[in-house]
Amino acid sequence: MDPDDVVADPNPHQSDSTPGAAPSQLAQMRSLTLEVSNDAAGAEQPAGNRSLPADFYETADEIEVTEKGSRLAGGLAGSASRGEPEDWRERSELDGEVLPSPSSSGYAGERGSIGGSNGIEGEADDGGPSLPDDWGRGKRHLDEDDASISWRNRKKHFFILSHSGKPIYSRYGDEHKLAGFSATLQAIISFVENGGDCIKFVRAGNHQVIFLVKGPIYLVCISCTEEPYEALKRQLELIYSQLLLILTKSVDRCFEKNPKFDMTPLLSGTDEVFSSLCHAFSWNPATFLHAYTCLPLAYSTRQAASAILQDVADSGVLFALLMCKHKVVSLSGAQKASLHPDDMLLLANFVISTESFRTSESFSPMCLPRYNPMVFLYVYIHFLDVDTYLMLLSTSSDSFYHLKDCRIHIETVLVKSNVLSEVQRSLLHSGLHVEDLPVDFSLRSGSLPHHLAMEKAIPDISSSHVGVGGPSGLWHFIYKSVNLDQYVSSEFSSPLSGSTRRKRLIRAYQKLYFSMHDKRTGPHKTQFRRDEDYVLLCWITQDFELYAAFDPLAEKAIAIKTCNRVCQWVRDVENEIFLFGAAPFSCPYPFLRGAVLSDLLRMKGFVLHYHILISDHCTK
Amino acid sequence: MGCSSSFPDRNAGRLASLNSESSTAPESKNLRVKLVLLGDSGVGKSCIVIRFVRGQFDPTSQVTVGASFLSQTLALQDSTTVKFEIWDTAGQERYASLAPLYYRGAAVAVVVYDITSPDTFKKAQYWVKELQKHATPGIIMALVGNKADLHENRAVSSEDALEYADNNGMFFIETSAKTADNINNLFEEIAKRLP
Ligand SMILES: Nc1nc2c(ncn2[C@@H]2O[C@H](COP(=O)(O)OP(=O)(O)OP(=O)(O)O)[C@@H](O)[C@H]2O)c(=O)[nH]1
Ligand SMILES: [Mg+2]
Repeated sequence: MDPDDVVADPNPHQSDSTPGAAPSQLAQMRSLTLEVSNDAAGAEQPAGNRSLPADFYETADEIEVTEKGSRLAGGLAGSASRGEPEDWRERSELDGEVLPSPSSSGYAGERGSIGGSNGIEGEADDGGPSLPDDWGRGKRHLDEDDASISWRNRKKHFFILSHSGKPIYSRYGDEHKLAGFSATLQAIISFVENGGDCIKFVRAGNHQVIFLVKGPIYLVCISCTEEPYEALKRQLELIYSQLLLILTKSVDRCFEKNPKFDMTPLLSGTDEVFSSLCHAFSWNPATFLHAYTCLPLAYSTRQAASAILQDVADSGVLFALLMCKHKVVSLSGAQKASLHPDDMLLLANFVISTESFRTSESFSPMCLPRYNPMVFLYVYIHFLDVDTYLMLLSTSSDSFYHLKDCRIHIETVLVKSNVLSEVQRSLLHSGLHVEDLPVDFSLRSGSLPHHLAMEKAIPDISSSHVGVGGPSGLWHFIYKSVNLDQYVSSEFSSPLSGSTRRKRLIRAYQKLYFSMHDKRTGPHKTQFRRDEDYVLLCWITQDFELYAAFDPLAEKAIAIKTCNRVCQWVRDVENEIFLFGAAPFSCPYPFLRGAVLSDLLRMKGFVLHYHILISDHCTK
Repeated sequence: MGCSSSFPDRNAGRLASLNSESSTAPESKNLRVKLVLLGDSGVGKSCIVIRFVRGQFDPTSQVTVGASFLSQTLALQDSTTVKFEIWDTAGQERYASLAPLYYRGAAVAVVVYDITSPDTFKKAQYWVKELQKHATPGIIMALVGNKADLHENRAVSSEDALEYADNNGMFFIETSAKTADNINNLFEEIAKRLP
């Protein structure tokens, strides 16, 4: 590859995109209409209590974005200067995740073919039962190397290499065959390093190359997905953390002893772990939200699970986690210990993608990089059913029999109190469906019907999506509780069926997230963005972040009102969608910030000291 | 999976290499034996255990991470029962330094190689040496040449293996997890050698 443009201390957004390249995020931002208005596009202040998004009517931090190509008149004027029809959207779906090269046996094998015969990631799983985390496993395309066309056509590569240029991991192709390519990457990095700089970013045509240097270990992403630099860097950070989870940071010492140390044997057998993480970048919002999500459950059910896990945590177990797929059922930590959402993400990814844990109970060392990157913890893993698994973490390598006894105890209680069957039921039937968004809150009385526990008929997936989300056209939302480090994501409604559309939305949210948290342009409180695909609305307060997607024709005022209703709805059902009582990792004194929340907890009879378990390891 | 034990019973005694549990009748003995499998990745340790515990063979068996714990009870002729608590360890290099975690306190170590791969036989010898240095003195050691069904690709002769085993006070057997050949024999022979 010939980098057209090497930026040594880069502010990637300021690098000029080469002709023909899709504009980088900021280039798009330049074409935004910044609307400063006092009437917030005519939205009325909704009547009501806590649901008031007072911030929405503040103008200072609002950016309003109308992407080009919008079907609305205002948007059309936007930024027609570029010849390309759309850059936000990915033009080609020739993504490596689904394009099986004919001779590769890996892809279709293990879990049955999902992608259909044409191999293009597509709509083959539309409306189907396959879940995101079950998408393609074990596709490695070992037959590929940097000379193959299919390899070059992959939209997003990830590499890990050593500072001496030895390949450690490649998302596609056999890393051993990529030794020459690896050496080239190493040469670029050290060329810049020799000048006393640290390379972060290169733009070459429509590819971005992102570099991350972690001591003797280099990570590189080559992507033409137009994800923001910050997002790709974050993905590299997670890949590095996943590596630490497997090996700890003490692996650095091997390089001190021998700079030419070959690390690949140490990672053998972990391809699945990394490929499942790379895949998560395109479907799992936890990869950028810094939060985890819970399986919806009746409050009492989760309480039953929490109580028994807390018992165990009090008996010398550092962390006890009960999870269902990538969602948390409950978790508890010993005094003063708390789990970082990133560690939870990587832990769950490791366990879910390691087939041998399903065979029998297991005991394995793992490192939680946010907890302590230098040491192993000892993890007892047991699948209680196909989807539900218990992880008990201890600092002691002798703890297996104790953890095993704890598990037997926990399992007995969970079975007796029907938690496991409730978990299975929730997996099948619950979740927030935008179609269920309560219409009028002024009519509601104190208690709401149990939206979550209700069994639902599968919504009719018709070709037309008129009517989804009611007149406001709400298609999807993510609500993150800042204090709890948790988020809830609605189910995907019919306009968003199909992995391609979902992936595109997740990328759009990701982009929104990073533009809202951009340190240079300052944190924003609200953002309204319209393009061909959707209207996106983001609203950030001290207590929560809301990301919502609407029909592209949705009116702003109605969208805002709808967001209010979503927030109200989430608060009404928060007992069932969030886990209360787990110590948040990032915020030392959450209840000083979340006055409303602490009121709520008191109402629920919580004992406050129970919740203020603070980590010694806050890194934020 | 699923040997259940009662919850409160978690005293250090369980970690002892070999427990004679108090038995109901004086003539029957119930033994509980901690057994560890060691050997290079891919030699078939997990397949041997799964064959012994569940009577199945999974040709797509996945690499083990850390170690798996399984148990199986074997009834002997003399109405003795032996409950094997089996540590099926990961052969991957990154776990090598953690092996003591699993063989510490073990009464039996089964060192497995693949008869079609001399490298795995070398690796087996490495494990034998390590066990001789660090394991509980008096540990019963078995040398197992697995994948005996692939005899046309044999690369380690039975004679060499037997000689090595004899020289190191080990008991030697060739097995096939695929055909189930000698799998039960392996564990019965181990049981016979228990004190
Ligand atoms: N032909 C044949 N193949 C076998 C036999 N036993 C195991 N295999 C195959 O060998 C491969 C590896 O077997 P495993 O039992 O997973 O190997 P392992 O020793 O547990 O490997 P690690 O868990 O990585 O240490 C599997 O693909 C099995 O199909 C056997 O007796 N005969
Ligand atoms: Mg194994």
